[in-house]
Amino acid sequence: MAAEPTTRELRELVAEYEFERGHLLPALIEIQEHYGYVSREAIEVLARQLRTTPALIYGAVSFYADFRTEPPPEREISWCSGPACRLRGGDRIREALQRTLDLPLDGQSEDGAYGLRLGQCNGTCSEAPQVWVDGEVVGGLTVAGAVALAREVKGDA
Amino acid sequence: MNDRFTAIATEARDRWEAARASGREQVSLCLDTSSLARGGAETLAALQQAVAAKGLNVDIQTTGSWGFCWLEPTVSVRSAAGTRTVLYHSLTPDRVEEFVQSVLVEAGELPELALGVVEGAPSDQVGMLDDHPFMQGQIRRLMANCGQIDPENIDHYLANGGYEGFVKSLDMEPEAIIELMLESGLGGRGGAGFPAGRKWDFLRNATAEPRYLVCNADEGDPGAWVNRILMEGDPHLIIEGMLIAAMATNSVEGYIYIRHEYPLSIERMNVAVEQARERGLLGEDILGSGKTFDLVVFVGAGSYVCGEETGLINSIDGYRGMPRIRPPFPAQAGLWNLPTNVNNVETYANAPLVLRHGAAWWSGVSDDEAKGTKMFTISGAVNQPGCVEIPFGLSVRELLEKYGAGTPDGVPLKGYQPGGPLSGVLSAEEADLPLTLAPFRDRGLFLGSGGIVFFDETTSVVDLCTYFLGFAEDESCGRCTTCFQGTQRAVEILRRIGSGGGRESDLDKFEDLIQTMTWSNCLHGSFAMTTVKLALRYFREEFETLIREKRDPTRSLPGMITYEVTSPGDPALPEAAAICPTEAIVEAGSSYDIVDELCIRCGACAEVAPDAVTVRDRFV
Ligand SMILES: Cc1cc2nc3c(=O)[nH]c(=O)nc-3n(C[C@H](O)[C@H](O)[C@H](O)COP(=O)(O)O)c2cc1C
Ligand code: SF4
Ligand code: SF4
Ligand code: FES
Repeated sequence: MAAEPTTRELRELVAEYEFERGHLLPALIEIQEHYGYVSREAIEVLARQLRTTPALIYGAVSFYADFRTEPPPEREISWCSGPACRLRGGDRIREALQRTLDLPLDGQSEDGAYGLRLGQCNGTCSEAPQVWVDGEVVGGLTVAGAVALAREVKGDA
Repeated sequence: MNDRFTAIATEARDRWEAARASGREQVSLCLDTSSLARGGAETLAALQQAVAAKGLNVDIQTTGSWGFCWLEPTVSVRSAAGTRTVLYHSLTPDRVEEFVQSVLVEAGELPELALGVVEGAPSDQVGMLDDHPFMQGQIRRLMANCGQIDPENIDHYLANGGYEGFVKSLDMEPEAIIELMLESGLGGRGGAGFPAGRKWDFLRNATAEPRYLVCNADEGDPGAWVNRILMEGDPHLIIEGMLIAAMATNSVEGYIYIRHEYPLSIERMNVAVEQARERGLLGEDILGSGKTFDLVVFVGAGSYVCGEETGLINSIDGYRGMPRIRPPFPAQAGLWNLPTNVNNVETYANAPLVLRHGAAWWSGVSDDEAKGTKMFTISGAVNQPGCVEIPFGLSVRELLEKYGAGTPDGVPLKGYQPGGPLSGVLSAEEADLPLTLAPFRDRGLFLGSGGIVFFDETTSVVDLCTYFLGFAEDESCGRCTTCFQGTQRAVEILRRIGSGGGRESDLDKFEDLIQTMTWSNCLHGSFAMTTVKLALRYFREEFETLIREKRDPTRSLPGMITYEVTSPGDPALPEAAAICPTEAIVEAGSSYDIVDELCIRCGACAEVAPDAVTVRDRFV
């Protein structure tokens, strides 16, 4: 993942996308894969490239849950919001995670060291209740386990 | 038959046969998302390492899922002579060494991990896989290849009858293909069950060109993963189905819209599209027929309403994925405002089976009015969360008891949600309903896309409603006030009821919302209140108890309970105090107290000190 994107880099990254319908989402996904987020600058560059307005692009960025407008945290707990997890204490796990990390869902610490994200069920419900820590499943979680995990991610453990 | 295809298929079959006659043992590890969640990647690495280190005469391949999701990683071992294949379960990385030693080195069997014999004769200790309780009664047509072939190798698909249905359709008039689909009775698998043949006919009759196909692989219903099983287990089946639809409708291009939560599905569909193109099965002049059709794998970015077909079209078009106002319907104005057909993954996946085996064979699987087999995933309060394929018509209870192995710890079933957040909840008394379209339609809901979530007596129905309405609120696209404000209002009232502030008039307010929200533009808004509507029908007393007695019979709603230290000297209390995320557990003399104002009712203390902490009703 690269650092602060420069305008030139950004232009190169999106150069192959054209003013053709069907290119917006793939372009945004590519930007996010490259930089970890979609910066203001990136929105402007992409608007020029696709010959549309930054407003239209920002509209899409804000519509989809997956896009970030600031760099992702170094470590992240993604909480499964799905039903199987909910039935096994998932919502109490969410409360405990939020309190321990002192963050709302989709929030991150000021220094960018850790964050908490709302995740969607991907059909690994046999692991319920679960979270993903930096993309890795941690299943069969208890609330106490979630507190311990959050403390560890936060660096308090 | 198309000569070019015969050549391609023959070569593929030769390679497949050669690999199977190699005189080497074949180990096939299921590597799907569920397996990965249970250490599948590490298992694979450990297997490869052990086989290399010991210089074993073994080929290792990866496959999709058999549906035993709760027992992943599953792995099958086919003997060197090719006479016997046994399927094992729970091959977690720590068990690989023992497994390699006893099964591969000593050429024995591990009965304690065996699910059954796939090919060959049963032994005293290992029965046939088909006789395994989880497999009995399942009819695996869509899933025939799942677990058995490498989804990233088109040879495997071709060697097992793959693309033969498409090749048949190449020689058919569009009308004849559609006639066949209508005859089969194939209904859409994405929720509403609309006849696929009729939808294709709309597109065939469209006036504008070019025409497009869309495969809806957004699978946004939490608790549903049937589309994922197909994409990760047999991606070519979906491509073949889309090719057939393209021949029936004269479409030139197709989009497979996959949610970003499914990276492995995205990868496997991309590999499959690439391989199909290499073999001349996609692109221009397919198999020398002069027909053109190509596919794009399109990745979503996190939005439930993008599963609604017009939201999905907007999303590909490059706008916010807001459901459109219909008409015009996609068959008139879809992608780039050109005629478009949208079907679910499983709908397309059935088409090759109809073409290959005929409509009568396909629909003859049961005498239910809904034709063909249906895949279901079961989760929630079940002992065995997994994926099955059965004919329509089996009862919900059978699904739970037979395949889900009942509810955990024998807690009685309270109810279930048949298909996604918009489909509502039904009580356990309705568990004898057959899994087919009509009984659910009669009760004002959809059977849905196949994700069935069971819940037991420990679950509060108000909590469920809060969850599903909260989901609908989060995911509303914001176009209709009825939907985005209606869901918000419903959540507010539900939260109030769930924390002891319920009012008698709230139930009337729900009735108001149920009525008002039906006037929303798309089903997301108009069906969002189904959960509350049905919860009021089946579980009204629970709402009334909460409102009138301020008591939660399940003692699970955070707003209705308190935690109390009831066994002061318990040695686990210091640990409970340490784990409490809000420091609500404080030392008081020789024991501990819970400061109610600080307590967030997370229950961590009760897990750590179950004998010392008691949950009590807050208001009674
Ligand atoms: C809010 C909402 C979400 C939907 N999500 C999906 C989905 O994830 N997958 C799907 O196939 N259909 C979904 N549908 C249904 C589609 O609009 C459409 O009916 C379906 O894709 C048609 O395919 P079929 O005829 O093959 O069932 C959704 C509908 C609504 C209203
Ligand atoms: S009903 Fe809801 S999701 Fe559908 S268009 Fe209206 S606001 Fe959007
Ligand atoms: S329920 Fe949670 S917040 Fe309340 S005392 Fe126990 S651990 Fe602390
Ligand atoms: S509900 Fe959490 S993975 Fe399905």
